[in-house]
Amino acid sequence: MRIKIIRIIIIGLFVLIVADLIYVQVIRGQYFYHLSANNRIRIVPLEGWRGRIEDRHGNILADRRVAYDVMVAPQGLHDRQGLFRFLAKVLDIDQKKLEKKYAQKKYALFAPVVVAEDIDRDKVIILEESKYLYPSLIVQEGFRRSYPLGKNSSHVLGYVGKINRVRKKRFKEYGYSPQNIIGYSGVEEYYDAYLKGGEGGIQIEVNSRGQQVRLLSLKEPTTGQDISLTIDSDVQQIASEALEGETGAIVVMDMDNGEILGLTSAPSYDPNIFIDAAKQKRISILFNNPSAPMLNRAIKGLYPPGSVFKVPVAIGALDAGKITPHTTYNCKGYYELGGTKFRCAHTHGPENLIESLAHSCNVYYYRLGLILGADMIQQYARQLGLGSLTYIDLPYEESGVVPGRRQRSLRRRERWYAGDTLNLSIGQGGLLVTPLQLVRMMATVANSGLEVQPHVIKAIGGTAVEQYDFKRNVKIKKEVLETVQKGMRAAVTNFSGTAHVLDLEELYVAGKTGTAQTSGEKLSHAWFVGYAKGEERNIAFCVFLEHGDSSHNACLVARQLLLGMQAKEIL
Amino acid sequence: MKRDLAKKIWTYTVMIVVIGLVALYSASYENARVPQNIFYDQLFCALVGFVIMYFLGKVDYRKFYDGAYIFYAVNILLLVFVLVGGRHALGARRWIEIGGISFQPSELTKLSLILILGAYFSDRRPKLPYGFFSRTQMIFWDLLIPLTITVVPMFLIFKQPDLGTALLLFGIFLVMLFATALEYRYIFGLLGVCLAAVPFAWNILKPYQKDRLLVFLNPNIDPLGAGYTIIQSKIAIGSGQIFGKGWLSGTQNQLNFLPERHTDFIFSVIGEEWGVIGALCLVTLYFLLIYASLNIANQVKDKFGVFVTVGIVAILTLQVVINVGMVMGLFPIVGLTLPFVSYGRSSFLIFIIMMGFLLNLSKRRTIF
Repeated sequence: MRIKIIRIIIIGLFVLIVADLIYVQVIRGQYFYHLSANNRIRIVPLEGWRGRIEDRHGNILADRRVAYDVMVAPQGLHDRQGLFRFLAKVLDIDQKKLEKKYAQKKYALFAPVVVAEDIDRDKVIILEESKYLYPSLIVQEGFRRSYPLGKNSSHVLGYVGKINRVRKKRFKEYGYSPQNIIGYSGVEEYYDAYLKGGEGGIQIEVNSRGQQVRLLSLKEPTTGQDISLTIDSDVQQIASEALEGETGAIVVMDMDNGEILGLTSAPSYDPNIFIDAAKQKRISILFNNPSAPMLNRAIKGLYPPGSVFKVPVAIGALDAGKITPHTTYNCKGYYELGGTKFRCAHTHGPENLIESLAHSCNVYYYRLGLILGADMIQQYARQLGLGSLTYIDLPYEESGVVPGRRQRSLRRRERWYAGDTLNLSIGQGGLLVTPLQLVRMMATVANSGLEVQPHVIKAIGGTAVEQYDFKRNVKIKKEVLETVQKGMRAAVTNFSGTAHVLDLEELYVAGKTGTAQTSGEKLSHAWFVGYAKGEERNIAFCVFLEHGDSSHNACLVARQLLLGMQAKEIL
Repeated sequence: MKRDLAKKIWTYTVMIVVIGLVALYSASYENARVPQNIFYDQLFCALVGFVIMYFLGKVDYRKFYDGAYIFYAVNILLLVFVLVGGRHALGARRWIEIGGISFQPSELTKLSLILILGAYFSDRRPKLPYGFFSRTQMIFWDLLIPLTITVVPMFLIFKQPDLGTALLLFGIFLVMLFATALEYRYIFGLLGVCLAAVPFAWNILKPYQKDRLLVFLNPNIDPLGAGYTIIQSKIAIGSGQIFGKGWLSGTQNQLNFLPERHTDFIFSVIGEEWGVIGALCLVTLYFLLIYASLNIANQVKDKFGVFVTVGIVAILTLQVVINVGMVMGLFPIVGLTLPFVSYGRSSFLIFIIMMGFLLNLSKRRTIF
């Protein structure tokens, strides 16, 4: 009887085991199979090479150069002390430092650890010759980004570096992995998807201690696409030299098709230092510098345009039919409104529109502002592209602010006064623009109403990019713009014109100066925004000096720029 | 009929041993961690074992009845000797060496305990309990004395420390006690007392034993430490799926993800390389062997034979079920081998000897 009970219990136990075997092996088999594959398969990523960046003439702006890294493979590392002593001697690095680096970076037996990056060629030879002594020593040939123009191209190109935490999160779905090199700011960031090489990798089988057992498969990494820019490296260099020692920005754009020939911002930085991991200190100095060398002032810096804004005000007043080109106002040196005197730079006497642009008479524009009204000024400023992004193909562009009645009441719950209109009409009072916006505005005026799209891309992988080759007509009468052109030309050609220094031989230059007051004790911003029609091409350009005092300084820089370009036969 | 049972036991045993050798070959194949010579060692053991099994089948098993008490006494002495001067391995004193051959007295205890309990229980005459005095006497003679016989080696083995074998001895005792005519209330009363003592027993466990029990409840507490084994073992078995990865191709096995895969976790190797088909074959063979053994108990006429058979069935069942359940995460890892398959001379030979006993019993039951 009791034997029977024992028999039933035994049957029950075996049924339980069989049921569990079927559950684990058949029903959940797939899941466990997956886990076992994960156990043994490791993927070592191989970074693809980034594409080159060229300027419009095919000069290399961003290249890859060969670099040699020293790696130590943990698998098969027997004489650890000896190897590190040898490495320390050859590389002239402290042995403790090397060992520390190795210990920090080592994560698996099969993955070699980089202990020294980018070593000199003669050291490579020494190491290669002694490789047979140390089987786990590897000298790996790789590529590094290099920027031949260095500082002069940094704000257009940006730089590359290891992907950071923010971008890792943002780009996770686009196939970026933690070890990827990624572009930061400039073209490197904007066209990263094209420049980036396709990641390859080797799939290896490891055992429980992480030692490589065999190679399962290899996927060759691919090289990214080469990119051509509209940038002219000569212009880039001339512009950078012109801004040497200053703070500010220069933008040079082909006004017929919107191609950016040169774009600089000063102070600048050397993008090459981001490639070398050993220069961390210099990188943090860059980011902490109070004069913000990392800031691209040409597209991200927001400044009051000062008198440059008189151009849209004049256009507005003419286009709206409030004045004719012959409307004359008398300048007494100030304009009085509600008991406050709004000053002018000089006492100009009676001036018509052309003269007012040439001499930059504030009083004339106070009056225009009043008869036009803040709403209309805002409307025309927007029509000419201020207060909105230019959608240039560079990241982190700012849109700027055109103040008006509505913004004022919505944002600050304050009223708009006539005095605000006066400030606005000479480009002050909360108006903020980027140098690039002014260049585009100037190109529109110079083209008599045809607005172009600023861009830096010319071709990707040999295929021309045509997406930016479109033009838009602004809703402003052609005659109006032609009148304003005359006024801006007069500013250069008149002996008393504000930009007379730019009256060059064999070159049609026109433009508008600006001296924008800033808050506090600091010097004014100096502007010159204009266009030049040369034999080769017509350009619109902007010279901006942050706290550069008088606009005359900007004109001098512009002169240097134009002469330089003329000498290189770019114009 | 009698020939039939003996033949069955021979067949099943040999088949299981062969499967075990095949698995052991794979577990030790081209590997530094588990040397290949353990396979040949086990092969040698198997051949010797079959010879022993054959001759044990010829000897009159009642001779073992006579020697049971002496055998037990010698075994206790050996266990004491292990604690005093045994060889250390894997953090425990389990082995002693005699003439260059090392073996585990704790494995021997399985056999000696079955024999002494069988001898003792078969000596007891069934008495009708009447009155308080006779009841007390019965509890003393039928329950407390055999319990003491069991607890003494249990304690010595627990001290080694080897929790698994100690508990296994208690399991043998319970099953054999169940097979006597003792009233259920005493058996279940004893079980109740034991269960009540479990919380107190917790405190005498070693830290690693506590870890193992906690990890059994949730292997992910410590996936790289104590939980590693059970996780990897489950992965190995599960990843075998229906047809397995093939002999010598189990990645969990060949790439060393399975610890102790030639001893306690040999079943994972079989599950991984032969899939559910191989695993079920082996389990079925065990079941058939146990079932055939239990049939012997039904047919043996003398009580000593019945008790010994029940004891052997109990230990076989318990070790198979606990070992297989352990590698699949159904039981905590207690370090019990898989009979006939796990590598280990002592364990292997003891089970072969037990099979020899069964052969003997199956042949001699009609002599009386």
